[in-house]
Amino acid sequence: MTESMTATAAVTEAAAGPTGRERAFGLIQRHGAAAVLVLLVAIGSFAFDRFPTGANLGNIAITSSFLAMVALGMTFVIITGGIDLSVGSVFALGGVLAAYAVRWGSLAALLLPLAVCGAFGLVQGLLIARVRLAPFIVTLAGLLGARGLLLSISNEGATTYLIPRGAVIARVGQGSLFGVGYPVYLTLALFVVGAVLLQRTRFGQSVYAIGGSEDAAELMGVPLTRTKVAVYVMSGLLAGLAGALNAARLSSGVTILGTGMELDVIAAVVIGGTLLTGGAGSVSGTVAGVLLLGVIQNLINQIGDLSSSYQQVVSGAFLAAVVVVQTYLSRVQRLR
Amino acid sequence: MTHRVRAAAFVALLTLAAAGCAKSEDDKQAGAQDTAGQQQVAQTPAGNVPTCTIDKFGAHKFDLKSGVVGFSQSEKEANPFRIAETASIKSEAKKLGIANLKTTNGQSQFNKQISDVQQLIAQGAQALVIAPLNSDGWEPVLQQAAAKHIPIITVDRQINATACKDYVTFIGSDFYTQGKRAADQMIKALGGKGKVAILLGASGNNVTTDRTNGFKDELKQKAPGIQITFQQTGDFAREKGQQVTEQLIQSNPDVGGLYAENDEMALGAVTALKGAGKKAGQIKIVSVDGTRNAVSQIPGGWISAVIESNPRFGPLAFQTLTNFLNGEAIPQKVIISDREYDASNAKQSVSSAY
Repeated sequence: MTESMTATAAVTEAAAGPTGRERAFGLIQRHGAAAVLVLLVAIGSFAFDRFPTGANLGNIAITSSFLAMVALGMTFVIITGGIDLSVGSVFALGGVLAAYAVRWGSLAALLLPLAVCGAFGLVQGLLIARVRLAPFIVTLAGLLGARGLLLSISNEGATTYLIPRGAVIARVGQGSLFGVGYPVYLTLALFVVGAVLLQRTRFGQSVYAIGGSEDAAELMGVPLTRTKVAVYVMSGLLAGLAGALNAARLSSGVTILGTGMELDVIAAVVIGGTLLTGGAGSVSGTVAGVLLLGVIQNLINQIGDLSSSYQQVVSGAFLAAVVVVQTYLSRVQRLR
Repeated sequence: MTHRVRAAAFVALLTLAAAGCAKSEDDKQAGAQDTAGQQQVAQTPAGNVPTCTIDKFGAHKFDLKSGVVGFSQSEKEANPFRIAETASIKSEAKKLGIANLKTTNGQSQFNKQISDVQQLIAQGAQALVIAPLNSDGWEPVLQQAAAKHIPIITVDRQINATACKDYVTFIGSDFYTQGKRAADQMIKALGGKGKVAILLGASGNNVTTDRTNGFKDELKQKAPGIQITFQQTGDFAREKGQQVTEQLIQSNPDVGGLYAENDEMALGAVTALKGAGKKAGQIKIVSVDGTRNAVSQIPGGWISAVIESNPRFGPLAFQTLTNFLNGEAIPQKVIISDREYDASNAKQSVSSAY
């Protein structure tokens, strides 16, 4: 029922642009995370004078930027109704490849991870779209495969390749402008491109349509295979890029990164209002979701003396609360 | 306005909850501290290694009691080593009257730990004690700390950087020697010949690498009659250790010795051996850590020997920091002396295990 409804919504959107009601619906879905984010930032600034400092906010921004890049790709994947569990491993792989390839120059350190991680996404996308295997299984295999590849490059993780301080890519990863790291600006630019792609292009419409109802989308003549493959390639590319830049920031291809990261990424996307069932969502919501995770983490550290197990309880409870509020808001909206 | 009031109430609640947690933890620590008399002892005499002074490093002097000190833990306090380590740091800080100790936990996510430490710096930490999750990748932290001349002491794992320039000093065990000592115990237990299996720690971890290399090198040198016929990772986890040992019993029934690179895996192995109907001592187990659970298996014969890796860093770390701030020369590397437990002393000293 809801599936066909969202599909129709996508069709009307394609034909005549969003109506007022749909716009309000989307706005509220997006607002769930953004509203809580604003609230938390306000509370944080009120309660901890070390929270609203430039250094601290810059720290949240740079830490969140890598998660955000990966989450951007994941947003597209989830809107098509898919999932990509491989991103954490691919992120780590991208970092190790960048550090491995830096011996041939900074360009190689950027291109090798992009090529390999893009290829990873391509294979996963083909298996999902062409062979019609379940995304969950394909990308779970990808998670293991990428981690295995990483370990084989790094001698079972015993070798950590380093990126020399002077390398161009290191300067990109570590440099900052007005106290904000370069990767943050790049992430913002990528999100603008992502938003345009999703909201203003035929490709974006196809992404929504597939997530709404695959059969209906096919009948409408949406290029199913091409679109699906494209979103998994995007996800692989963005995870690889984020990994490479993160390695540049850390000056080394750390091998232990990214375990469990896929869950944070998925959480950020879903908190941002993208439906796990596909068909609805936005990249701006994802930004709010990612920042929300970062701010929660930061506030827990501000409190300072919470034991590690309670930290997880608190962040889990926060997330649950956000999702409940959001679901409630969107349900009310739908009933009307 | 009402928002403000509400927000304040909310924060008050949160802080209360936090205070509650902190209190219960402190109680636990006090208990642990009473029984756990065994403090770390530095092994290396200060004269033999290069030293570091506050002038050479270029840090600012401050009063430890009123200053802000940050402690960054790498993993959740879910295993005995991390529990004892964090408790030791916190209780020592309390003992010394350090009012402003800020602690964070990286939850085994390296990027989170980096961001944790950066946040500690942003919160005004004047000195940092770090238990690094990984040895490489500390560039952003080192740069920020250097810009503010913040002294860093790393505990239990090293950071790959220059001592007395990027960080002040490292306090920890020598994992390679731990592996060698485990090998010595294995040689003793097996009488110099037989087949041995290794339960490796997590891949890509220098603790694993060092404990493996130390063990293998020592065997090669001292007991060529012992062969290593099986090695697989147990990820430092009990269940994984059990699982791998179950496979081991099936695939290599002739194994006479098992080297577990931490106690949790050794305990998993004991469970697996019991489940397979083996008798205590049929397969000799040697492990590293010195947790109470493992040491208490020695008298029954399930575990032959345990090499200690002492996690009680608090007293030594703060002593080093105090000396450093007082302008004294401190060693650039402090290797602690670890004990070992075997049948001869396990019963008497199990109470001092953690």
